[in-house]
Amino acid sequence: MEFVIENWGFISKGLLMTLKLALVILLFTTLISAVLGTLATLKSRTLRWAIHAYVELFRSIPLIVNVFFIFFGAPLLGIDLSPFAAVTLGLTLWGSANGIEIVRGGLLSVPRHQWKSAWALGLRPWHIYLYIVVPQSLKAILPAYTGLLTLLVQATSLGALVGVGEFLKVGQIIIERSTMMGGVNPAFTVYAVVLLVYFVICSALTWLSRYLERRLGRQPRLPQPQS
Amino acid sequence: MSFDFDYLLTQWPALLDGLWMTLQVSALSILLSLLIGVLGAGIKLFRLPGLTQLVALYVELIRNTPILVQLFFIFYGLPAVGLKLSLYWSGVLCLSLWAGAYQIENLRGGLATVDKGLREAGAALSLSSRQFFRLIAIPIAFRVSLPAMLNTAISLLKNSAYLQTIGLAELTFVAVDRIATDFRAIEMFTAICVIYLALVAVLALLAGRLEAHLQRPFQQ
Repeated sequence: MEFVIENWGFISKGLLMTLKLALVILLFTTLISAVLGTLATLKSRTLRWAIHAYVELFRSIPLIVNVFFIFFGAPLLGIDLSPFAAVTLGLTLWGSANGIEIVRGGLLSVPRHQWKSAWALGLRPWHIYLYIVVPQSLKAILPAYTGLLTLLVQATSLGALVGVGEFLKVGQIIIERSTMMGGVNPAFTVYAVVLLVYFVICSALTWLSRYLERRLGRQPRLPQPQS
Repeated sequence: MSFDFDYLLTQWPALLDGLWMTLQVSALSILLSLLIGVLGAGIKLFRLPGLTQLVALYVELIRNTPILVQLFFIFYGLPAVGLKLSLYWSGVLCLSLWAGAYQIENLRGGLATVDKGLREAGAALSLSSRQFFRLIAIPIAFRVSLPAMLNTAISLLKNSAYLQTIGLAELTFVAVDRIATDFRAIEMFTAICVIYLALVAVLALLAGRLEAHLQRPFQQ
């Protein structure tokens, strides 16, 4: 275990990078999901079809292919993307595809009569949406969205493949260093520790998701995202 | 830079080889993950002492850690303590363990919907508890869990792309390998995206057919 103490500064930097990556992606994902998820509940058939196509596209392509496509493809198109930007873009596109489905499902789970009653009371559509529908839909959205956040944190490990110095990358570098300099291969211990740390972070999020589910009462189950 | 379609035609045989490996690994892993699912859900259902907690820990561990780290642990970590598996079997083990955890949960969800009243009805018809599970609980649970189980199988197929990172010559590996020498990233990635999309679409279509077929006895 001494390598944990020896490399503490390095490890905490990696963890911070993982969290930073997850937070930035979460922010963009939430913005896109809120907007497109709402638009997907409107009447326009073209709009719904276009959003549906986007969702299906990014849910069908393996995440690693998506990230590689952006990372290796962008320079060929003359776009200069840092590894951090490439991973952020790739995971945001994938995360929002899942987020849109959650938001759409949550909004549609609010009974129709809520709209009609509010309409009868003379509220404007914008007010109905903001004050009546959104608060009720959040009860269904929050547990599923926390589940998505767990997957997002896990997916940031893809950063290691394109050279973002996040947690998994730090583990890989520690293994390389010890193998080259000390002649011992600590791969088993290092990867076990990496697994454990992700486990602690994601378990906490999973626990939060289940807690919200219990706390908010019985809600229609939304499609659970899967990596 | 223009899209060079002729280049893709020359690379077609290599891509087909990769596709074949992807399909092979995925099919084997899907079968093994179903086996793990049935075993795990059975253990949870019968509340076997000790084993139940072990299964619960396994499911939580898989679901709350990145599959990429699981793969590195199996491929680079286990050999360091003397457990060496070939490239192919490391990949199969990783995918099966990953999907198996989800299949346990999928099946358990289905079994939970088998109503207590049904069990009493079974007892009234003098079915033994084994007969009850074989003839009533399992068929019902399978129908309920089927959509989720097929989704997990499709996810497994997509996640087989992670095996590129350890060097198994599946579809994504072939593409990345060729890009390193030919720099045709746009063409290659477009090609494999289309292939993955087609695979997922075909699987989803088959899944829909199967679901409709199994629902038939329940429709009026």
